[in-house]
Amino acid sequence: MLRFVPYILKTLWRHRSRTALTVSGSAVALFVFCFVAAIQQGMDDLQERQSAKGTLIAFQANKFCPATSHLPQDYDSQIARLNGVKDVVPVQVFTNNCRASLDVIVFYGVPADRIQSARDFQLVTGSWSEFESHQDSAVVGRSVATRRGIKVGDKFSIGDISVNIAGIFRSSDPGEENYIYSHLDFLQRTRGANLVGTVTQLEVLLEPGADPDALCREIDDTFRGGPVETDTRAKGAFQAKSLGDLVQLINMARYLGYACVGLVLALVATTTIMSVEDRIREHAVLQTLGFSGPRVFGIVMTECMILSFAGGCLGVGTALLVLKVSSLSVAAEAVAVAFSPSLGVALSGLTVSVFAGAIAGIAPAIHAARTEIVPALRHT
Amino acid sequence: MALVEVRSVTKRFHKGDETITPLDGVSLDIDEGEFISLMGASGTGKSTLLNLIASIDQPDNGTITIDGTQITGLSRTRLAAWRAGGIGYIFQTHNLVPVLTAWENVELPLLLLPMSAAERRTRIDIALRAVDLSDRANHYPRQMSGGQEQRVGIARAIVAHPRVVVADEPTGDLDPQTSTQILHLLQRINRELNVTMLMVTHDPEAAAIADRQFRLDHGKLVQVSVPEPAGTGSGEI
Ligand SMILES: Nc1ncnc2c1ncn2[C@@H]1O[C@H](COP(=O)(O)OP(=O)(O)O)[C@@H](O)[C@H]1O
Ligand SMILES: [Mg+2]
Repeated sequence: MLRFVPYILKTLWRHRSRTALTVSGSAVALFVFCFVAAIQQGMDDLQERQSAKGTLIAFQANKFCPATSHLPQDYDSQIARLNGVKDVVPVQVFTNNCRASLDVIVFYGVPADRIQSARDFQLVTGSWSEFESHQDSAVVGRSVATRRGIKVGDKFSIGDISVNIAGIFRSSDPGEENYIYSHLDFLQRTRGANLVGTVTQLEVLLEPGADPDALCREIDDTFRGGPVETDTRAKGAFQAKSLGDLVQLINMARYLGYACVGLVLALVATTTIMSVEDRIREHAVLQTLGFSGPRVFGIVMTECMILSFAGGCLGVGTALLVLKVSSLSVAAEAVAVAFSPSLGVALSGLTVSVFAGAIAGIAPAIHAARTEIVPALRHT
Repeated sequence: MALVEVRSVTKRFHKGDETITPLDGVSLDIDEGEFISLMGASGTGKSTLLNLIASIDQPDNGTITIDGTQITGLSRTRLAAWRAGGIGYIFQTHNLVPVLTAWENVELPLLLLPMSAAERRTRIDIALRAVDLSDRANHYPRQMSGGQEQRVGIARAIVAHPRVVVADEPTGDLDPQTSTQILHLLQRINRELNVTMLMVTHDPEAAAIADRQFRLDHGKLVQVSVPEPAGTGSGEI
């Protein structure tokens, strides 16, 4: 089939405006497909990673936005005493926007000396000692830094919070790269009045083998009837709850992805049908020269798949580039889902384009291969 | 044994209730290296007979054997393979592939045969030289005159060294002067390359260049001339 590729390419080139329109149409569809796949990937990452980690989050019962959850910080020692608990990290969360948004700034205040043990962060630039030795310093995730153009040494302000950037970190969890980490007591104090002594949430790290469900119940029971009740969940479940409707939306976006596949199919099929109809006589001539039905079938299929694969490469390439450069994420209630432009997303996009091309081509290719030679030659 | 043996071939077409029988028990033998012409009024079945011999159509009755291969009854795919090496077809409206150059058009049939790229190149060069178009190898059909296009069509028909070349009114679309050139070319190819040729034409002058002339009339094939000693058709006006 390779030796017929020049003929196929020249045929596509002859109708270059039609070819260009089809390729760019498929590219747009695959661009959208990749965006959907990337956010879905981000969701999967979030849930898989966190639930596997064996971390619980204790939040104030019946509160949703981090701004309204206030747990006494000394709950940490009570929880730490429970069987199966390895460590408890008090966390103060501040966000400029509690609702679903594409550009949320989230501050996590954590005891400065605990960050490195509680997270897998690696500094891309800056230094930990700089961070630890200054109360008002912060380290920012790579994605926020890119999105907001933040550099080490900058002063970054939002609302009544203002921090000095001591480092930019990367993490194996792309969601984390959307957060800013500062000193716990700094965040408690800067936010004004009575926050000292309270935290937004307690992060409970479990011993290996501990039963997360049982511990959630145990923690909530401990504080039932007390001044502030807790609502404790595995971190994955907690984040899913925080994201709330966003999870539904992201799951619904799946159908947008399917629609894109349908779009590519329809586009490429239309073009191929037109191209086959245009060339009934040419295919009859080829058959007269000795091209067999299967060979004509192969030529039409190849043409079709080149079209959709070209659209796929263009769309997937552009989508990955845009996602990489923009470091997009969506967040709600201080939990961010990163658009993860992974190799898997790229491969699934390209696979979709190849398969859509193959499916779109089958009917017209069979039609071309079955052309009755004599009537087609008489056809003017 | 003749190279082409057509035996009692019948072909019918159905148009609504009407049945047309353009070929009614036609038999014909063509020897290797012979030049046969076929005349007849429009719609008498000349193309139909030619298409049967070229194996792009199947008769309702009768058999056709070419070079010992009975081509009636072969499967579509086997027939395609047979045509690739066995048949050259020259169309009235040349039917070149518009997106390919003269050279690439001539190359098409060779792409189907087991052959090295070097041999392909040699064959194409020879075929283009035979039709005197070596200097137009890289031209596209739309950049050529009708006569040049037809010459490319002829080169494409002979490049694979087929057993039989059929031509369906090869000069039907051309002006008289160009027609004469094309006819001479076909004659030369027949003589010099010993290519067996079957040509349909409605022009008696053109038909006269053949070794034997036939006429189709009401489904029957009639020979209108006996082989003549050397001499061209132009002397018979
Ligand atoms: N595929 C077909 N379907 C129906 N009728 C056909 C078909 N092909 C040829 N015919 C009819 O058969 C007759 C002979 O056709 P053809 O061989 O093309 O004639 P010629 O080449 O002598 O002009 C004509 O009457 C034509 O209408
Ligand atoms: Mg005809």
